[in-house]
Amino acid sequence: MARTGSASLFGLVAVLALPAFAAAEPEVTMQADREKVGVEDTFRVDITVANAPQGATLNLPSSDDFEVLGRSQGSHMSYSVGPGGAGVVTYVQKHTLTLRANRTGKLTIPGAVLLTGSEKLATRPLVIEVVPGRIAQNDKRRAPPPNPFGLPPGFPGVPGFDDDAMSGIPDDLVPEVPRGDSDLFLRMTLDKNEAYVGEQVMLTIHLYSRIDLSTVDAVTMPKLDGFLSQDFKTPTQLMSEQRIISGVAYREYLLRQKAIFPLKSGSVVIEPAEADITTGLIFAGHKVHRKGNELKLTVRNLPPGPATTIVGRWRLSREISQTEISLGEPVQVKLTLEGRGNLQAVQLPPLNAPPSFKAFDPETSDKPSSSRSHVGGTRVIEYTLVPQQTGNFVLPSVSVPYFDPEARKYDEMRLDELAITVKPGVGGATIQMQPGVPTVTGDPGVKNQLIGGGLKSLRHTARFATPRPALSTQPWFVPLGAAPLLLTLLAGAFVFVRGSIGPETEDSIKKRQARAAKKRLAGAEKLLAKGSTGDFYAEVERALTSFMSARLGLAVAGLTRDELMLKLTAAGLSEVDRRRIGHVLETCDTGRYAPGMGEPAARQQAMDEATKAMEAWR
Amino acid sequence: MISSLVLALTLSQYTPQEAQALFVEANDFYYKGDYANAQSRYEKLLAAGLGGPDVLFNLGTSHLAAGQLGPAVLFLERAARVSDDDDIGANLAVARERQQDQVIGAEATSVPFNQRVAAAIDERAVAIGFLVTWWLGFVLVWLTWRREGGRVVPGLIAALLILVGAALGGALWMTANVKATVEEAIVMPDVARVREFPGDAAKVSFEVHAGLKVRIMETSGRYARVRLPNALEGWTEKEGLVSL
Repeated sequence: MARTGSASLFGLVAVLALPAFAAAEPEVTMQADREKVGVEDTFRVDITVANAPQGATLNLPSSDDFEVLGRSQGSHMSYSVGPGGAGVVTYVQKHTLTLRANRTGKLTIPGAVLLTGSEKLATRPLVIEVVPGRIAQNDKRRAPPPNPFGLPPGFPGVPGFDDDAMSGIPDDLVPEVPRGDSDLFLRMTLDKNEAYVGEQVMLTIHLYSRIDLSTVDAVTMPKLDGFLSQDFKTPTQLMSEQRIISGVAYREYLLRQKAIFPLKSGSVVIEPAEADITTGLIFAGHKVHRKGNELKLTVRNLPPGPATTIVGRWRLSREISQTEISLGEPVQVKLTLEGRGNLQAVQLPPLNAPPSFKAFDPETSDKPSSSRSHVGGTRVIEYTLVPQQTGNFVLPSVSVPYFDPEARKYDEMRLDELAITVKPGVGGATIQMQPGVPTVTGDPGVKNQLIGGGLKSLRHTARFATPRPALSTQPWFVPLGAAPLLLTLLAGAFVFVRGSIGPETEDSIKKRQARAAKKRLAGAEKLLAKGSTGDFYAEVERALTSFMSARLGLAVAGLTRDELMLKLTAAGLSEVDRRRIGHVLETCDTGRYAPGMGEPAARQQAMDEATKAMEAWR
Repeated sequence: MISSLVLALTLSQYTPQEAQALFVEANDFYYKGDYANAQSRYEKLLAAGLGGPDVLFNLGTSHLAAGQLGPAVLFLERAARVSDDDDIGANLAVARERQQDQVIGAEATSVPFNQRVAAAIDERAVAIGFLVTWWLGFVLVWLTWRREGGRVVPGLIAALLILVGAALGGALWMTANVKATVEEAIVMPDVARVREFPGDAAKVSFEVHAGLKVRIMETSGRYARVRLPNALEGWTEKEGLVSL
């Protein structure tokens, strides 16, 4: 791993820019705060220089057996009255090194050397016994370093460098400075080492640095399998706080903070997070990669108690828009759950509205929130109920147990019963009472009132239809409607024209003559009621004769009756029709000359017979 | 009808299932008292070409429940034009009862015959009836034209069919004429001023209120001459009217 700072730079040469003090002799001492340390421990070495002449230099001790984790410097000047009443000014400069041993054994820290021109002052080497592990925990109440100069307590306090900065944090939560990357390292911490299933555990990722940082380019979070997680803090800018860790001053940057909720019991290992960091100035910095530490968490099952998976500290409340409503009028019931814990994991029981209420799917809205150290939030569930009949109803009580990990006991959220009165609606819809669903009413004499009128209820399913133009406005409609009339007129006109100007055929001549004969018969009909009997019968005979001439295509006026019958037979006329024609001709002959045939009945009969004879011959 | 519905569904962005789901969702909003959301969903269906009496009825009823008389009457009237369902009439009656204007003397002013005919008939059925009887009558005429004898009965039937066809055609023509010449509209704003002549400076003759059905006689600029059912007339701004 790349090093970002010197950890073994031990032999620093300090140029002491001091005022000249002629009266006092220069003096240099070196002292460690402990003689026995663990290899994981840090300890402090103070090098004190008093009355150094101007231009003096101090060579700090150097050894590969120790790593310098921190370095500080302070100075102090005092004035005292010496023998004979002369004033003595003492100027003291103190260098403090925070060290950590690189190996075990009896290790020697070489003495510091003060060079004052021609003179060389050296301290005695210090022998430190280094044992494996850490013994600092057993030595919390170690004495402050001796103060050979009788300086006031607290000396040499450096502003901002508070030795007790981590004193409020448990020892196991104090981050350990990694060996080799002590200038810049990533540390993950949990706010507790043991938790119940579903209990909140705060996972924090800090970056500790003794060098200048430009940016944190990327943070790779560990996989959190077996946890539900919720972001707690995700800073967008690098903000630091001063921290003293193992006696060393660091700038602490918060990178991420997540509330995690274990889902199952057991011992869980959380893998290290990683980060890409740019150090130094923006344009002159270089990128480094840091990997954090592994974490272990022991997850315990919830203690025996009611069956619930809700963990946290919760409160449930209920609001209703109105407790006295009209039939068919909607009423809103709002359940509000608020508290701390994993809001997403909380499952509330259904409302259990009375069967006489139509309950619509609720609308749920979650609003996460966080306090200083906990996540939580508010969930609002809104139900809409529409009463289907009048009466007094009760929304049942609700009791939801949950486990409070802070109190380490079970508690419950409770809602009392809520009475709702449904009155007949003024102008409300007609609502059928549901069979078998009794109303909860204290007075059996109270009737379930159903009032008609008002708005008709909605259609629950739709038959969709696209607006269509009227059929009569379609472009084909008018031509289609006018077509038969126009066709008829055209056909009539064609027949008329053809009849008027077309060449006459034998058939058309026959038809024309037949029509003329029929007209003549019609003329005879006019003579039926008036005129002479002879004229009538003569007209009938002429009509019939003309008709037969037209049909047979020859003049029948000169034929004998027998010849006529032969012609009619040859033309295919039936025996009955031949007889009828013969009978009409006989009647006409008799009517013209015989008295008694002028009676209207006889005339009518002759007329009918002639008509039948003509109609029968097609 | 089926082909036009298929075409509408093809052109619209909703499948039949989605359209039905949207309709049910709108109903749910209505029952929760959220009329605005219910209306927006019904209107989405209308905009997608998925109308019909059910959507129009629910939309009108939703406006009525929200106390918006203008659009309530508008959509219920439109529903009544495509369906003779009793519920539409019932809710229209409720809307008219809530309507602020009482048109006095409307009963005495009889609706013209052609308008009554146009309102009473089913245009599609009459159009089909006209075509069928008209054509049958003439086909019968053609068949009996050259027939020798026995033409009386077919002739009478043909005459009867042509007569019925002509009557239906006349009714159809009347309906088309009424539709082309008579434009009805609903007053939308809570209050609309009716003036003596078109112009802001004209004297206000009377006021009409949301939900009143009027007939638009003519238009001039921003104004339309409206006639109430009792023949009271005046000019009001066109933007306050929505045609049926």
